[in-house]
Amino acid sequence: MGKEVKICLSLYKIVYSTFFVSILCIVRGVSFTNEIGVALEPPLALLAAVFCADTYVQEIVSKRAEVERLYPVKNRTLSIIKRMMVQEGYLFLLAAASYGMYGIIQKPLSLYGTQIVIKDELKMFLVYLAAIAVTLIFWGLLSHTLSCLFRNMWAGIGCALILWITTNSTIGDRLLGKWNVFSYTFRNIEDNGDLKWICGKIVCVCLILIMGAMLPEIIKKRG
Amino acid sequence: MSIKINDLTVTFKNGVTAIDHADLEIPKGLFGLLGENGAGKTTLMRVLTTVLKPTGGTVTLDGMLYSEGNYEKIQRKIGYLPQEIELYPNLTVQECLEYMGDLAGVSKKVCKERIRYYLEKTSLIEHRRKKMRQLSGGMKRRVGLIQALLNEPEFLIIDEPTTGLDPEERIRIRNLLVDFSEKRTILFSTHVVEDLVATCNQLAVMKKGAFLYAGSMQELINEAKGHIWICRATDEKQAREIEKKYHVSSKQYVDGELRIKLINKGKPDIDCTPVSATLEDAYIYITNKQ
Repeated sequence: MGKEVKICLSLYKIVYSTFFVSILCIVRGVSFTNEIGVALEPPLALLAAVFCADTYVQEIVSKRAEVERLYPVKNRTLSIIKRMMVQEGYLFLLAAASYGMYGIIQKPLSLYGTQIVIKDELKMFLVYLAAIAVTLIFWGLLSHTLSCLFRNMWAGIGCALILWITTNSTIGDRLLGKWNVFSYTFRNIEDNGDLKWICGKIVCVCLILIMGAMLPEIIKKRG
Repeated sequence: MSIKINDLTVTFKNGVTAIDHADLEIPKGLFGLLGENGAGKTTLMRVLTTVLKPTGGTVTLDGMLYSEGNYEKIQRKIGYLPQEIELYPNLTVQECLEYMGDLAGVSKKVCKERIRYYLEKTSLIEHRRKKMRQLSGGMKRRVGLIQALLNEPEFLIIDEPTTGLDPEERIRIRNLLVDFSEKRTILFSTHVVEDLVATCNQLAVMKKGAFLYAGSMQELINEAKGHIWICRATDEKQAREIEKKYHVSSKQYVDGELRIKLINKGKPDIDCTPVSATLEDAYIYITNKQ
């Protein structure tokens, strides 16, 4: 795994992603703690799409793919899965840290009474972590899959961006409702018992499974 | 291990024919592939490495036909070093080779042994802890050569490995190729004639997607025998006239006069003497014969 870390977690990636969330925490204002997840999910989805786009395409650009084509597809797929795990793991930690940074920088107010603040805030944080984990994997894998199909990182990012703009909009919310991939962002944040947004995340999980199943074939045909 | 190419044709979607009904047999040992830029050498190599599917014709490797069903078996027998390859810049030499060996499916223990053996053989053992991005062009090429050898291929395909290297590194790479050709077939593509003179006995010459020659180097040189001439020009004007009329392969100032080497089928109608042909002369003769 150490080699995968060196290959796909280069210094410039760590620097730009850290800058991105730092600036986000300063620029995007929130008043209450239940708004933090809403403020973070769409930008982090975009970050994941940019971050993971070169997971395999770097092999094509560097011409290593021509040599690796001779290697068993199973081994190549496994190496991509490892790289995705490293990147997604890093992004997940960054997402968790940025939630904390929001609390420190913006000092949002809690919606709850002072007695049960910690328990409810922790619950909200854990729900955020679950939702953001699915979001990060979905957008990361999506841009990676599209980049592989086009054999071009920018085409992958571009297509992911179009989907991001469409789904992260009022039109997207109206059209897809609870099935939107950004259902967590568009949920009713005043109502903690409303769990309809999970439908959107189930859609994400299904798409993740489909893209995962397609990976070996994509690597074989487009790698 | 021998490779047979029969009536091979590669036509791209834009209509360009990169290889045009080519026939060739590559025997065991080091086999040179010579041709100008755009002759079709890299396309041929891409077909042989199964990257590219031919539009027509057949290729067999030790009697095994290049077909979808056989690709996996064929790929296991091949090692490939493309012309331009950037190996993982953030990994050390050792890590990079271990990673590629792992991808190739070589067991960890065997891979480590092979890496050590080839690092010693290529004089890179003391650089194994250096990051790939810290290596010189020649060293990177040597690491590239090792990665191609990690799965002990029977057929090694090397695309212009000496391009852009200093003379010392070129000699080193050439010698390594000769060493590694003892037990396997190596297809060595280049447009640098000296590289082949120093390494190969057998070669093929490509031009515009076709093989103009395939056989021994000596026979190729013999073909040019009697067609290479040296003449002298006293001034630039005379030299320009000669250049207009004949195919000049080289010019050199010697003792104040211009010595011109030209290639012509019969004796030119100027004062000149025949000279023995080099591989470079033979290559120019054969590529301009038509």
